[in-house]
Amino acid sequence: MATHETVTPDRMTPGPTRAGDLLPPARSAFGRLREIAGLWLPALPLILVIALLLLAPALSLVIGSFRDASGFSIDPWIRVITRRGDQAAILTSLALGATVATLCTLVGAPVAWVISRMLPGRRAAWLALFTVAGNFGGIGLGFAYYAILGTVGMLTLAIQGVGIDWVPPRPSSFGGLVIGYLYTNVPLFVLLTIPSMGALRDDWWEAAQVASATRAQFWRRVGLPVLAPFIAAGWLLIFTWSIGIYGLAYALAGGGAAMTTPLITLRIGDILATDFTETWRANVLSVILMAIAILSLLAYRVTLRRAVRWFR
Amino acid sequence: MSTAGRRILLGAIVVYLILPLVAVFLYSVATVWQSRILPDGYTLEHYVAVAVDPRVQGAVLRSLALAVLVTLIDIAIVVPAVFWARVRNPRIRPIIEVGAAIPFALPWVVIAFGIDRLVGEWAPSWQTTFPVLVLAQSAIAFPFFYWAVDGAMAATGIARLTEAAETCGARPIQILRRIVLPIIRTGVATGTVLVFAVSFGEFALARILVGSSYDTLPLWQAQALLRTDDQLNELAVTTVLSFLVLFALAAWLVARGRSSGASLAAGAQVGTPTEAPR
Repeated sequence: MATHETVTPDRMTPGPTRAGDLLPPARSAFGRLREIAGLWLPALPLILVIALLLLAPALSLVIGSFRDASGFSIDPWIRVITRRGDQAAILTSLALGATVATLCTLVGAPVAWVISRMLPGRRAAWLALFTVAGNFGGIGLGFAYYAILGTVGMLTLAIQGVGIDWVPPRPSSFGGLVIGYLYTNVPLFVLLTIPSMGALRDDWWEAAQVASATRAQFWRRVGLPVLAPFIAAGWLLIFTWSIGIYGLAYALAGGGAAMTTPLITLRIGDILATDFTETWRANVLSVILMAIAILSLLAYRVTLRRAVRWFR
Repeated sequence: MSTAGRRILLGAIVVYLILPLVAVFLYSVATVWQSRILPDGYTLEHYVAVAVDPRVQGAVLRSLALAVLVTLIDIAIVVPAVFWARVRNPRIRPIIEVGAAIPFALPWVVIAFGIDRLVGEWAPSWQTTFPVLVLAQSAIAFPFFYWAVDGAMAATGIARLTEAAETCGARPIQILRRIVLPIIRTGVATGTVLVFAVSFGEFALARILVGSSYDTLPLWQAQALLRTDDQLNELAVTTVLSFLVLFALAAWLVARGRSSGASLAAGAQVGTPTEAPR
């Protein structure tokens, strides 16, 4: 696929040989209009959807966060940043994203490595399992948490059944959210990083063995340095997605229960559902969430650009 | 990694990934499940209860309608745009790329809030209506379709084939039927499954845009979970059924030989080495 990717841009630069230009260029204003329509019309619906339903809402939130009743103002920002509850929501979201991403990396990276070295048939079975699990999220997954780790959940009953007095983490607690979030994100991390495991070529390990390196030395000097940027990129992506999760968080923490473990997404949803006078607060929080996501995604791009040099 | 370590790691992962599915399924067929590790008895009455519950019926139908409409809209707007970007006007591509990056990067709660704000400002009477939900969902889901279809077109060099057909004097309708449609069929299948699955199960958008005006399936599920009027078994049934639908779609895709990560991961892979140098 990469070869096509690199070939097509050249082929598509405007030039006299393109089939569409075989017609003589139109000169009149009407002809000019037709020409523009011919270039853009089939893409117009999609461009409108992008502009009106994706770009405009994002811009409107950014602009809206700098306004109050009197016009331009940074007052909303100051009032959000200096308030305890909102600070807590921002910090908790960041901490949750970082925790989930780190645990995903610690578990997912070895799993991705093992699976990438399997025979194709077995690997396909594993990929299918991860695809299914990675797509099982939201409210259904939240319910599964109650069914397993609730007060009368399967695992709770099983552990208490053997006589251990064990209380599972409440779903709305930080630990509970981490357990829930990991379920979809570990599979996603594995699916994301499996292709990059090909960067580590098998003959490098053979070369290292010839040079009488131990397995630990190989991993420290060759394996990890080559794979590190890919793993870091995976971390950043899981971090970005985790801080934006809403459905599962809502199912685990409940609508009004955003007090126990405040998250930005839950705060936004809460405010919009209950308190119209506080919409400006949700607006600023949205822009903060947006900014975190964009920064993290930019870091992801930079990291990945650095990483792919091993594929050239 | 030693063989034993590998076994333990993979075994633990399987248990972790399977256990919730098993638990939800058992919940959907349990009579009472209060004291032991397995239910006290088994029954299918919850499935019957779900089938005859008018609120669930309404929610399921609305979610189905939403998913079908969104899929149709995305086919109608994405295919021509991507085809034109590849064949006629390369300047379309960066616009689509930026558009596709937005739902990938920004939390959907945020996008939903932004759309709700705009609608409230410009067309307040449309707020919380079903058409707005459909349009918003189409916008958010279009990247899945775009990546799938664009990948299919790139892999076959559609620009060159179209050019060759034009040189041979093929009419546009012939090009469409003989070249474009066969080429994009796999991509459209993948995209359809992804868009359908995402739209059917989407909660954040529906919650912010619709609130409590009416139910989609995830909205009903959330209420069943958080209100304590004992509909947990029905909730389990709907979870099992929607999971089965999703599973069947994914299996169908794999059977077609396209077993790539059918999820958001598909989008992230645009940036990863398999297709990276752009």
